[in-house]
Amino acid sequence: MNSHHLPLRPHRFEGGIHPADGKAYTTDGTIRIPPLLEKYQLVIQQNIGVSPLLKVKKGDTVKKGQQIADPVGNISVPLHAPTSGTVGDVHDISGANGAPVQAVEIIADGKDEWCEPMECYPDWRNTNRELLLARVKDAGIVGMGGASFPTHVKLSPPPEREIDTLVINGAECEPYLTADDHLMREQADRIITGAGICAKILKISCVLIGVEENKPEAIRALRTAAKGQKDIVIVPLKVRYPQGGEKQLIYALTGRKVLAGGLPMDVGCEVQNVATLAAIAEAAVEGRPLIERVVTVTGSPVADPGNYRVRLGTPVRKVLEWAGGIRKEVRKLILGGPMMGFAQSSLEVTVSKNTSGILLLGADEVRQFEAGPCLSCGRCVEACPMRLLVSTLSKVCENERYDLADENYVMNCMECGICTYVCPAGRPNVQHFRRAKAEIRALKRRK
Amino acid sequence: MPSNEWLTITVGAVLVNNIVLSRIMGICPFLGVSKKIKTALGMGGAVIFVMGIASLVTSCLYHGLLSVKLNFTIGSLKVENLDLSFTRILVFIVVIAALVQMVEILLQKFSPILYGALGIYLPLITTNCAVLGAAQLNAESNRGILPSTVYGLCSGLGFALALILFASLRERLELSRIPKAFQGTSIALITAGILALAFMGFSGLVK
Amino acid sequence: MTILLAALALALLGLILGGLIGFTAKKFAVETDPRIEEITNLLPGANCGGCGYAGCADYARAIVEDGVSPANCAAATEENFQKIMAAAGQEAAKRERKVAVVYCSGDNHHAVHVALYNGLNDCRAAAALSGGGKGCRFGCIGLGSCARNCPFGAIEIRDGLAIVHSELCKGCGKCTEVCPRKLIHLVPADSKVHVFCNSLDKGPEKRKICTAGCLACRKCVKAYPELFNAQGFLVRARDGANITAEQVAEVKCPTGALQTVESHANLGKGKEGAA
Repeated sequence: MNSHHLPLRPHRFEGGIHPADGKAYTTDGTIRIPPLLEKYQLVIQQNIGVSPLLKVKKGDTVKKGQQIADPVGNISVPLHAPTSGTVGDVHDISGANGAPVQAVEIIADGKDEWCEPMECYPDWRNTNRELLLARVKDAGIVGMGGASFPTHVKLSPPPEREIDTLVINGAECEPYLTADDHLMREQADRIITGAGICAKILKISCVLIGVEENKPEAIRALRTAAKGQKDIVIVPLKVRYPQGGEKQLIYALTGRKVLAGGLPMDVGCEVQNVATLAAIAEAAVEGRPLIERVVTVTGSPVADPGNYRVRLGTPVRKVLEWAGGIRKEVRKLILGGPMMGFAQSSLEVTVSKNTSGILLLGADEVRQFEAGPCLSCGRCVEACPMRLLVSTLSKVCENERYDLADENYVMNCMECGICTYVCPAGRPNVQHFRRAKAEIRALKRRK
Repeated sequence: MPSNEWLTITVGAVLVNNIVLSRIMGICPFLGVSKKIKTALGMGGAVIFVMGIASLVTSCLYHGLLSVKLNFTIGSLKVENLDLSFTRILVFIVVIAALVQMVEILLQKFSPILYGALGIYLPLITTNCAVLGAAQLNAESNRGILPSTVYGLCSGLGFALALILFASLRERLELSRIPKAFQGTSIALITAGILALAFMGFSGLVK
Repeated sequence: MTILLAALALALLGLILGGLIGFTAKKFAVETDPRIEEITNLLPGANCGGCGYAGCADYARAIVEDGVSPANCAAATEENFQKIMAAAGQEAAKRERKVAVVYCSGDNHHAVHVALYNGLNDCRAAAALSGGGKGCRFGCIGLGSCARNCPFGAIEIRDGLAIVHSELCKGCGKCTEVCPRKLIHLVPADSKVHVFCNSLDKGPEKRKICTAGCLACRKCVKAYPELFNAQGFLVRARDGANITAEQVAEVKCPTGALQTVESHANLGKGKEGAA
């Protein structure tokens, strides 16, 4: 173990807040397996980059795990059927971002039969790393922490970049969500295996897994699974949002700072989420592609909140049924967590590879606001983890001065939601910045 | 001259008796050109230049011609102890106007960009009382030519300082939500008043 | 005596300075075309940018120096336009007057809301977030980005729908640039009847989320095939078709999507199109 990587105490990143935890709703968070559905609406593009190309048509029979869409180019991953059955319509459904997305319908035949598994590599330590890397792509694995960037691309940095540390995000700093927590408790072996596989692919010998201190059982489980492996160190981190943010995590664990506009590989690091690692292990050792993921269903209006291992393409309406249904007036339905998630206007949205949570908020928990003028109180500037001049940015974006917004580094905003959360004037800051970023990108494209 | 006299002239002109904020002269270009910091910088530079040259020329004229008691004879006409200093306001206006006009012509020829930005404001420098006021104050205090020029330059510097500060404030105000009744010139005037109040803090710095 | 001498001295000073200025003016003269200023004064001075240039002064310069046609200015009055053509030395031409039309009738009385939007009061921002609460993903969001962008104040937001007052509209096109749904179009000013719907959804789906949408029942197409063009689930009036109010009344559009510009401008005032 390179001792110079291990800090005596994790570094404290600047900014950040302590929002209400919300994790108590899923104290019994043991991962539950829900029943099979009749129909799955599988969104075709579930990764950043190029959408895979559908290769089945209506009426075709498919088996569980069968590849039904081929990747197009390198920044693309394949798509696999969540169950065995027949292919239905290819149509538009409500997407998580509010815009309609193309989805393929899979009508289940009830047998839930797997297709032939891909070649298994139980002895992955002695397997060619090229084969392991190809397996990550073939299994359709993307960043499951929310980014959905194709993992095989992330695991192939340009040769001139020297990566020496693999940083694993087990922080789950987002309130209400406990999916990663229970995944670490129940599948610690798979996660450690996945970490080993990534380390082998990247040819590095230092793996740091950061887990927030409020998950002692997860830390214990991971340490037990990693016993004897000197390369892998589990580091407990202070509970603070956004501890799991890429740049914050790297700084906390290694003391290295990723500069504005830079990437983790600039400081020799790669970041992966624990759920992604579990998927990698399952793909390499058991030969199974990515067709389901753990989702936290929670919030006070949910009758029986918990963590569910949901197949991709399951409508949110169904997941809520399994969680006991809705028992009081719902004001907001959010995919993801309360800080960075997206509010939805339809129950027909479906679970995708990056859906970490389904959160319901009641009428008494949601505040309607009329945005006031900026008070220059400075709470947002204090708390911004990217150290942006948020109050100035908020004012210039309100006046649609996107030139000034660009000068003040709005493109570095990680949209963590802290500035909107702390603003006493109720200003929708993250929405301002998302709009500014879109306008700036559009302007650059036009030039 | 003793050194604290120089301090009185320089620091006094820039901060204590700031020509815009204490003597309330030159308000027209002050409000007109202060919407953007860039134009304020250009205007400030122009004013320093004009006030410096104007003070130099007018003080030369005053000491050399107007306040000197003239004695000469034209044919059979004998003139004794002719003191033309009472005409100084008229003479100063004419000289300053001609000076600024020539500056404008030269600017249009040699820097079209600056001319485009400041073109309409150059006549404002002519007719505004700041330049005339500085010249008049020099004549009143009976300063020598060099102290007059320095006073003119420092007054210009004080004008530029006030202008740039005010422009920065106005750029920030642009981004704020202002009640309908105060939008436009009214909030500008209120801000100018508060800035003048702030500059009162310098009083007593020099005697 | 002193006064006389003072006056003489001042006159002498004036002569000297005048001569100096005259000399400087001649020596450092800069050539400018006087036509640029003349045309700048004839242009409306609204700096709306509809001509594609950065303001009236810039457009005047382009007309004189680059020979650009003055016909790009939709906002100039006809009289001034002819004068500009004369000053620019170009042959008198005719401008086609255009106005903006909002192809949507989905105000709060007709459109169904599926969600409550609480965020930035800007259509472009809302479009990125489920489109601001109305069920139709092609329709007018109604938060007023077009109205705020209109340099002539010709657009009013009434009951969550953008309504163009065509007598104020100069056809500069700024509203068409800013609408995220691209449902504002510039049409010839004498084109008085349109199908005020933008949705490509199927008829039954449309009916669920808006009572004023075009169902593509094709009654109008069957009655006057030369005036209408059916494009899948949406019907449009053909370019240049001069449909009259009588023809509208005859067709009896079942939802009222087919209506006159005047009737659309009176939506929400108790006078609505045939519904």
